[in-house]
Order: sequence, then structure tokens, then C-alpha cells
Amino acid sequence: MSRSLLVLFVVFAASLNGHAQGRGGGRGAAPPTARAAAPFDMAGYWVSIVGEDWRWRMFPNKGDYAGVPLNAEGRRVADTWDPAKDEAAGEQCKAYGAPGIMRIPGRIHVTWQDDETLKIETDAGRQTRLFRFGAAPAAGADIQGVSKAEWELARPGLGFAIAGDRRGSQAGSLKVMTTNLRPGYLRRNGVPYSGNAKLTEYYDVVKEANGDTYLVLTSTVEDPMYLFQPMITAAHFKKQADAAGWNPAACAVR
Amino acid sequence: MRTITLGIALFALLVSSVIFLGQAPVPSPGIGNPLGPMVSGTDFSGSWRWLNHQDATLFTAAGDIADWGGIPLNDAARLYALSWQASRQTLKQQQCMGYVPPYTWMSPGNHRLWEERDPFTQRLTAIRYWGQIAQVDRTVYMDGRPHPPAYAPHTFAGFSTGKFEGNILTVTTTHIKRGWLRANGAPQSDAATVTEHLIRHGDTVTILAVVNDPVYLTEPMSKTSLLFRQPVAPDAWLYACDDSEQIPGRKNEYVPNHLFGQNPFVREYADKNRVPLLGAFGGRETMYPEFLAAVKDNTAAETAAKARMLPSGPRQASRAPDPTPNDGNIHVFHVAGSVYMLAGDGANIAVQVGPQGALVVDTGGGKLSDKVLAEIGKLSSKPIQFIVNTSFHADHVGGNKKLQAAGTDPSLTGSFFSNQFADAGQGATVIGHLNVQTRMQEQKPPLDTPPSDTYMEDRRRKYHNEESVEIFPMPDAITDGDSIVHFRRSDVIVAGDIFTTTQYPFIDTKNGGSLQGEIQALNFILDRTLYQHDEDGGTLIIPGHGRVTNEWEVAEYRDMLVIFRDRVQSMIRAGATLEQVKAARPTVDFDVRFGATSGSWTTDMFVEAVYTSLKNPAK
Repeated sequence: MSRSLLVLFVVFAASLNGHAQGRGGGRGAAPPTARAAAPFDMAGYWVSIVGEDWRWRMFPNKGDYAGVPLNAEGRRVADTWDPAKDEAAGEQCKAYGAPGIMRIPGRIHVTWQDDETLKIETDAGRQTRLFRFGAAPAAGADIQGVSKAEWELARPGLGFAIAGDRRGSQAGSLKVMTTNLRPGYLRRNGVPYSGNAKLTEYYDVVKEANGDTYLVLTSTVEDPMYLFQPMITAAHFKKQADAAGWNPAACAVR
Repeated sequence: MRTITLGIALFALLVSSVIFLGQAPVPSPGIGNPLGPMVSGTDFSGSWRWLNHQDATLFTAAGDIADWGGIPLNDAARLYALSWQASRQTLKQQQCMGYVPPYTWMSPGNHRLWEERDPFTQRLTAIRYWGQIAQVDRTVYMDGRPHPPAYAPHTFAGFSTGKFEGNILTVTTTHIKRGWLRANGAPQSDAATVTEHLIRHGDTVTILAVVNDPVYLTEPMSKTSLLFRQPVAPDAWLYACDDSEQIPGRKNEYVPNHLFGQNPFVREYADKNRVPLLGAFGGRETMYPEFLAAVKDNTAAETAAKARMLPSGPRQASRAPDPTPNDGNIHVFHVAGSVYMLAGDGANIAVQVGPQGALVVDTGGGKLSDKVLAEIGKLSSKPIQFIVNTSFHADHVGGNKKLQAAGTDPSLTGSFFSNQFADAGQGATVIGHLNVQTRMQEQKPPLDTPPSDTYMEDRRRKYHNEESVEIFPMPDAITDGDSIVHFRRSDVIVAGDIFTTTQYPFIDTKNGGSLQGEIQALNFILDRTLYQHDEDGGTLIIPGHGRVTNEWEVAEYRDMLVIFRDRVQSMIRAGATLEQVKAARPTVDFDVRFGATSGSWTTDMFVEAVYTSLKNPAK
């Protein structure tokens, strides 16, 4: 009897393994590239819809850090921010780093740089972010840091559900973890993050019945130097048919 | 034994292959599966709280006046919001106002989500939501049921259905009451539909809500909100709210509001936060990055903002869909207790049924009377015994002749009436205010089958079909002969044209109607109503036209008319003529909901009725 159970277990595990291969993951085949494994297509132009944090994203003022879980040191730094000093030091792009750039009103252009690298370009500040799947190359700190990406595919729950009850295997999210950042600003008003900040982002795509497609970004910034708890925010972008409105502009401190 | 083992193994391989390989690409059934899905795309169950790392100053019942940046408000919505005065919340019906989606996600109390499953199949039948603030009780049906008909009541939570799209729960909600996009005067109309996409990542739920509101938005409003999981379930879940008079002695026809262009707080938010006033006023352009360039010229932006404080542009008609069925059939809706509403033939018809003959309030336009009779026949095994007319207008009495003839009043047969009238008891008895009878007889040609049983007193009462029925005349409201009918046990009020959800009140000044009488009539209704909780449920109202409501919509209607009264009265005091009043567009913020630019009752005709009422008040 114990032998029978063992056989059953092996067969069951084999079928699980087959399922886990996903699309194109047949036995003996090379694992799919990140691009091929994408559960949704992010490529194209997207415009930010400033439906949340409007005043802080559109017209940030010095000392207005409502909502940001700043600790005492963070508040001190924000309160003493001097935009003229940033300009004099050639540091106009400190608010355009990875933890801040996605909330600055503008458009983004998403392309695949190669099969394992997703590229996001922003017209605001003319920034480029590279999301690398697989092993991230070592890199020195810059304002966009080093971003390691992975697809978090939605797995159906285990169990013997009847036919038709499974969630589609196509669903999932893009998870991006960014480190090695140069210090910068969470908002364009000198609210700081440090070089030790860690950014975790989830990108999801939803479609409306009228055909509108939205990219939903959920971000968590962890930075014990300036934040007393992780800061969690969301932003969203609407898909554009083309590059209309794409307007690259240099970083601006104010 | 070996053969058996191999057989079991092969069977297991077959089953598991079907489950894990063969079925994986099959789309989620969700909607359309009458049983509901077996597994959730994501389990949202748990206790949550709103995360205020964004929009920190905008949680419920907060937000400064004129802080509407990023909301695609149209001109009517902006003027509505600029006219709104925060002290309006002291009015009884406003005190316990509920929260509508998606604004409810921003309430600061506790939020709970849980799954409901069929005990026999373990299918997911619904996802439930409870919000502490205003005790928001939402059910997201996952079993594929359709949304109710347009003439069904609205609630603050609305009617929601959901489906999983991968790991994302998409919820579609209709039948929502008028509420707030932001509780600082920015309205969300009762014609809005809301789509919410719930995405869970660990302990965070991100909700992208898209509001489609043809009345108050120029394009869909999209916005994210965040919930954060509470590791320990809190114990605060209730929100006790009973209304009371906040200012003793205040008249019930006082509704705080600002006249157009006279809101003293209009600049407060913009100045304090160094935001351009044009941006603070909202509008579709404020949602997009280009807006930053649009306000570079401060002078031009300020001029544009000032222009938006007053009515402008072409006259607007209602953009809310008419809930009245128009397919040539009679649609029956069970309102409460023993009372039903029949819609589809002119004014709404109410039918009360029970062990005695049916009591019918109004008979519609008369074009579909045979179908009306057929539907009443399905509801009641007894013939129609009484007909009550709330008005003499043709769309309320058009079916009198057929319905009366089809009925009988056994209370007269064999009574002393039989000695006086040979036909006593033959046909239903038609009841109405004396002026209904008079007006029907005065028409050229006279209208068929006027009330034979008339009254002039303040209350006509009758105990029928095991409940108390009260008929109250509403003098000088729509006409001089209107009545409302209150079925006390069922707790349903039939309002006639005193209240409709489809248009401005048809104040018939030539036949004794007046704005003042209409406001008094609405207040009379409000003095008789109760809500179940937070302005939902309780006493239900059948309007003359439109969908079933409760007191909330009646109060909103009353407030609107009082605001119009204040605006027109102010202009009359300043010496304005009727044409000047019309040109000033005193109804502009509600025209997109109730107005008409053509047809039998246009906004201009309504404004003229308001002006006439105020210029020549009844002695």
C-alpha cells in the first residue's frame, strides 16, 4: 500500500511540475524569456492621471509633507530644503529618482530593451529606468538605482476544483525591487529619502469596459533614516494609442 | 495488487492533467456562472484600514471648500459645489447621510471584507464589505445575477456584481444614491456607475476606482485608494447615528446655501496652499500633466477661474437616463408589504392587495389599461375596490374609466346606498380631492370617470386590506387638488407628482399650484418618513414618475427647490424681470439632472412657475 501511495505522489508531483512550467515551458525546452512570460503587455505610451495626491504632485510646496511618514530627521531635512542650493550644485534631478519619478505628472514610454530588460522612459526629467529580470548587474548608485524585476504570476489555488473553475494562468503582476539609490526626494519639495532607501513596486494592468486601459502602480519606500514606517502610495496611468503629448523636459527644481 | 496500483496511478495522472494542464487557460467564469466561482482570484478577507500616505487631508467629511483638483467636474458640478454650504450637514436628512463608492474607501474607520460561500457547494456567492463609518454594508454578488431594473430603489452602497480577472477583483456598481466624490461639495450623481479594481499585494490592497457620471463629470474620474491589513481585528464597527434638530426653532424650509458668486470661502484652499484657483476648481484638464503649462500665465488663469464662478454656456438638459420603462409593457415592482408599483403607462400606479379588493392609486395614462388590469389580476384575486387619484392630470387619471369599470365595491352592495343608486357597488369607487373632481369636469372635453367619493378635509382615512391607509390633500402644490397616500403598515407613501425623480416639479400655477405649496408638501412627506439606517430604507416613496426612493431623495428634492427659491427671491428683490431671471439660469447646477430644453415641461417653464409663485404669493 505504501508503494501505491508513493506512485501516486510521484504522478501528482509530475503533473504539478508540468503546470508550473507555464507557457512554452514544455519538458526539455528552454525557460521562456521575461518578455515571453509577460502576463500583460506594458509596452507603449502612458499618461499619468493625477487623481490622487493632486496638490502634492502638481504644486508641491516646501514643508508640505502631509501623509509622508517622516521621522524627526526627515522633517528637519524637508524644512531646511533650499532649492537654490540644489540648482547651484547641479542637482536639479533629485526629485526624479526612482522613488519619486513615477508620481511626477508626465508620460512614460515603456519598451523592451532586450528580452530580459524592460525600459521605462519619462518625459518629465528625461529619465530612464531599466527593470532587469534575472540577475541584476552590479552598478554604482545613481538616481534610478538598480532595479530587479520579476513577474508574480497569479497561481490558481491547489485543490481538486472542477473544470472551468481555475483562474487564468495569464494573470499576474510585475514586481520591481530597486536599491543602490543616490539620495533624493520623494516629492518635488525636498522631502528626503536616503541612499539606503529600498523601493518595491507592483505594476498591474486593468481594462475598463469602454476599452480604457490603466497601469496601476503600488509603491513602498522603506527608509529608516527618514521614515518611521514604510511609505505606501499608488499612482495610475492611462494607455495612449500613440506618443501624443510626449514632451521631454529637463529636470526642474521648482 | 500491482495492476490496481498502476490503474490508480494512471487515473490520478489523468485527473491531475485535466485539472492542472488542460483547464488552466480556460477563462474565469465569474459573471455568468450561476453557481459562482469555486476559488477566489485573491482572498481579500480580513480587517483593513484606509492608508493615508496619499490624499492625507481628504478623508471622509473633510477636504477644504474648492479643493477639487484632479476631478473632471463639469461646470454644473462646480457650481453645485460652490453653492454648497458646509452647514447644510446640520439638516436632519444630511446628518446620517451614507457613503457611496468609491468615496467610502477613504473613510477613516475600520473596513472588513469577507467571502460568502454556498454551504453545500462551497462556491463563492458573494464578497461582503462592512465599513464602520456610516455602517456601509455592501454585497458584491459573484453568482452572475443581473442588476435590478432602472426603476428599483438606489442605496448609498448601490448594487454590486463582481468577477475575478486573474488576481484582480473587478466590481461594477449601479443604483447608487447621490453622494460625494469628495465631501466638500463635489457631487456624485445618482446616475453614476462605478467600476472598482481591487488588487492585493501582501498586506496592501490598491483600489483603482473609475466613476462614470454622465450628470456631473466630463469624462470618467479615476482614482486610487489604499487599504492596509490590520493584524488584529479591531472591535469598533458601529456608527450610531440618529438625526436631531441642531438649531431649535429653525424652519424646515431653510437650507444653507451660497448664492452664485458669493461663496466667501472660495479662495481659502487655493491661497493657503499656493495652488492656482483654476486648478482648485477641478475639471478634466486638471487631471493631466499639461495643466502645469496651462497655468503658467497667472493672470489668464485667474480670469478663467473667476469666469467659472457664474453660470455660462448653453442650457443643458438632463443627462440622467429615464428609469421609466417604455417598451409597451407594464412592469411590476414589489415596493414593500402589500404595495406594488406598476410602471410603463404614464404616471406610476400603486396597487395595494390583500384579503379585500385591490386599492389602486392613480390609473396611469390609459394607453395600456388592459395590460394594467392584467398585471393587477396577477397580484390580487379580488377585483379593484378603490381607486385614489392624486391629481387630475391626464397621466394620472387616464385609466380611470377602464379600471373603475373592471372593479367592484362590495362595501356598497346591500348598503343603504343601494336604495339610492341602482348601480351602487358596480365598479370600483374612485376617491379624490373635491378639486380633482371639479378640474376633471372643467376640462374640455371633461375627463372620464372623475372621483365620485370626494373629500375636503385634512385627512381621509380608511382601514383596508389589513392596514391603515391615510390620504392627505396637499393644497397648492402641483395643483390645488393633489393628495398623497400613506400605507402605514407597509410604510409606503405614494407621492403623486409632488415628488418625481425625472424632472422639475410640474407646478401648475394655472390650476392652483405654487412653489411654496410644493415645498410644504415635500416637508409634509418628510415629517412622516423614517430611515432604517443612515438614510437608507425605512419608509419607501413611490414618486409620480421615476423610480422608488426613500426620504433621502425627497429631502434632496426639497433642498433643491429651497435653493432655487432663495436664488430667484434674491433676484426679485433686486428688481429682476422674468426674462432676467431666466437669463441668470438659477437652476443651472441641477439642469443636468432634472432639466429639459424641449417637451411639455421645460426648464424655462419651471423657472417661470417659480418666478410667478414668488412674485404673486398666495394670500
